[in-house]
Amino acid sequence: MAERKLLFEHTHDPAFRTLDGYKATGGYQALEKAIKMDRQAVIDEVKASGLRGRGGAGFPTWIKWNGIPKDKKTTHYVLCNADEGEPGTFKDKQLMETCPFLLVEGMTIAGHATNADQGFIYIRGEFIDAARALRSAIDEAYAAGLLGKNIMGTGWNFDLDIHLGAGSYECGEESALMSSLMGERGMPRLKFPHAPLPTVAGLWERPTLINNVETYCCAPFIIKNGGEWYASLGASTKNSRGTKIFSVSGHVNKPGNFEIEFGTPLKELLEMAGGVKGGKLKACVPGGSSVPIITAEDVDRAIIGYEEMSEVKSMVGSGGCMFLNEHTCIVTFIWRTALFYANESCGKCTPCREGTRWMLQILDRIRRGNGQKGDIELLKDICSQIDGRSFCGLGDAAAWPVAAALRVFPHEFEYFIENGKSMVESEPTLAMAP
Amino acid sequence: MSELTQIGSINERPRIPTRDEVELNFSDKAITELEALKTHYPELKACILPTLWIAQREYGGFLSGEAIAEVAYRLQRSYAEVEGVATFYSMYNTAHKPGKHKIELCTCLSCHLCGTYRLRDFLKEKLGIGHGETTADGLFTVEEVECLDACDRAPVIQVGDTYHGPVDEGYLSKLIDDLRANPESTVVKMADEMVKVHIRASER
Repeated sequence: MAERKLLFEHTHDPAFRTLDGYKATGGYQALEKAIKMDRQAVIDEVKASGLRGRGGAGFPTWIKWNGIPKDKKTTHYVLCNADEGEPGTFKDKQLMETCPFLLVEGMTIAGHATNADQGFIYIRGEFIDAARALRSAIDEAYAAGLLGKNIMGTGWNFDLDIHLGAGSYECGEESALMSSLMGERGMPRLKFPHAPLPTVAGLWERPTLINNVETYCCAPFIIKNGGEWYASLGASTKNSRGTKIFSVSGHVNKPGNFEIEFGTPLKELLEMAGGVKGGKLKACVPGGSSVPIITAEDVDRAIIGYEEMSEVKSMVGSGGCMFLNEHTCIVTFIWRTALFYANESCGKCTPCREGTRWMLQILDRIRRGNGQKGDIELLKDICSQIDGRSFCGLGDAAAWPVAAALRVFPHEFEYFIENGKSMVESEPTLAMAP
Repeated sequence: MSELTQIGSINERPRIPTRDEVELNFSDKAITELEALKTHYPELKACILPTLWIAQREYGGFLSGEAIAEVAYRLQRSYAEVEGVATFYSMYNTAHKPGKHKIELCTCLSCHLCGTYRLRDFLKEKLGIGHGETTADGLFTVEEVECLDACDRAPVIQVGDTYHGPVDEGYLSKLIDDLRANPESTVVKMADEMVKVHIRASER
C-alpha cells in the first residue's frame, strides 16, 4: 500500500488556502449538502463512517456528536482541540497551515449537526503560522456568508473564533483545554462518571462538542461521499476506518507527514519516509511520546489500526511516529521522555506531579552512571503508582513509555546500572545531553 | 503596587485593583482590541489569556507586576488570579524581562535524536548564556523549550513568530547576525501577531 491522500490531497497547492481555490476542488459542497439534511441524518452519516477521534484516544466520533442535547435550551458550542503538543506529532500543524478551509467547513458541519451557536479553535501558542492561515480562512468565510449570520440563507447563525494558548502541553487534554479557554490555569477537571460529559456541561457549563483538528477535517469527506464510502477505507482492519495522518520523524531520511489507509503495515510507513538513517532500525515509538516503545521486529509485523497495534503492545495514539536507529541509547531516550513529562505535568495531582519528578531523578542518576541496584524495581513501582491515579491522562502517558522501555529493553538499563555507562555507542551528539 | 499582592486578613479574598492603584498604559489600539475580544466570550474571565498577550506587547515583551495589575483592573479580576494564570504558561514572560530576541531551542525527543544539545552548547559559546538567561546587552534570551511540533524539521528553533529548521551552527551564526541588525523586537512582534489572529475582520 502507498500513501492514500484524502485530507492532504491538495496540501501542496497554495490556492487551496483561498476560498476560491478551495471551492474549485469541491470545497463547501459538503456543507451545502449537510445544511439541507436533517441534523440526525448528518450524525447518522458520521456513525456509518466509523470515524474515531484522531487526537489519540480513538473514541467513536458520532457518540460525541449524538450526545449534544437535541432539545436546545441554551447556547451550544463546537470546540476544536488544536493544541497539538505530543512530541513527535505535527500533523494538525500542517493541516491548519495548508488546508484551513477543511477545518472551517468541518466545524461548520459539526455546528449544524449539533445546532451550535459558536465555535472556538484552541490553537497552541507556538503555532502562529497555523493561526494566521485560519484567520485568513475564517475572514474569507465570513465575507462569503459561510460563517456569521444567516449561513447559506438558512437563518442559522454560527460564529467561529480563534483562541490561542500560551505554552502548556497539559492544555491538549480536553478538560484542561476548556479551563484554559475560560481563562484559568490549564488544569484538568473531574471527569465522567464523576462529573457530566462535556457534551452536557462543557464550556461555561453548556453543551460542548470537542474534537481534534484531523477529526473535523474528515467531516466534509464523510458528508460529500457518504459514511459508507468512508467506511470502505481501512476495511481490512477490525474497527479502524478511513485514513490517518502519521508524522514520521527521528532517524529517517525523509521525515514528514504521511496519510495512509488503516491496515497499512508499519514498515511501509518507514519506507515512505525513506528508510532508517545512520544505521539499522532499533526501535520505534509509533504514536507519539506517550505510547509504548516497540522493537524493530515488532515494526516488521505491526499493522496500523487501533486494535491491531495492541498486538505489538502499543497504540496508534496521535500518530507521531519516531524511528530510532541502532546507535540510540534507550536509557537516554527514555530519560528525555521523562524530562518532558516532568516539565509538563501541571501539578494538580500528586501522583503525576511527584511521580514524574522521581522517575526523572532516578533515570538521571542511571544516565550519569550512578544507577543503584534496585533502581529498575523502583522505577516499575513508581510507574504503577502513577498509572490511572491522576485526573487526566498525562500521568498515564508519563508512566507508559518508561514501563514499556523497561519491559522491552531491560538489558540496556541493567547494563547501564552495572557498568555505569551505556551499552550503545551513541553518536557524540546524543551523548552530549546535559 | 505591593499592596495588591498582600492579603489583609485571613477572611479577605484577593481583591480587584482599584483605579488609583494602577497606571493605565494600554494604547488606543489595545483598548479597541480588548473591547472586540470581550464580545467573543460570555464571561470577562475568558479574556485573560488574550489580554495578557496584549499586555505583553504593550509592555515591551515583559509582563511586569504593573502589566498584570492593568490586565486585572481592566478585566475586573484580582491581581492574584491574573498572576496565577500568567505564571502557569511558558510563553508569557513573567520571570524577568527577556532580551529583544528570544531564541527558543527545542530539545525534546526528535530534536534530541537529531543532535540539538550540540546547538545548545554552541549557543552558550557564541552568546555566553544558557537556558533562561539574557545577554548583558539585552539583545538575546536563550530558552530550551519542549516539543515545538515541527519534528520533520529537527533540530528546530523558534524566534518570535518564525520557525527555523533544520538548523546547524552555520545557520545559527548567520541568524544571530541578522537578528543583531534587526531593529524590531521579535518578542514584541510575536505578541502582536498573537493578538491579531484573535480579532475578526469586522472588528478591525
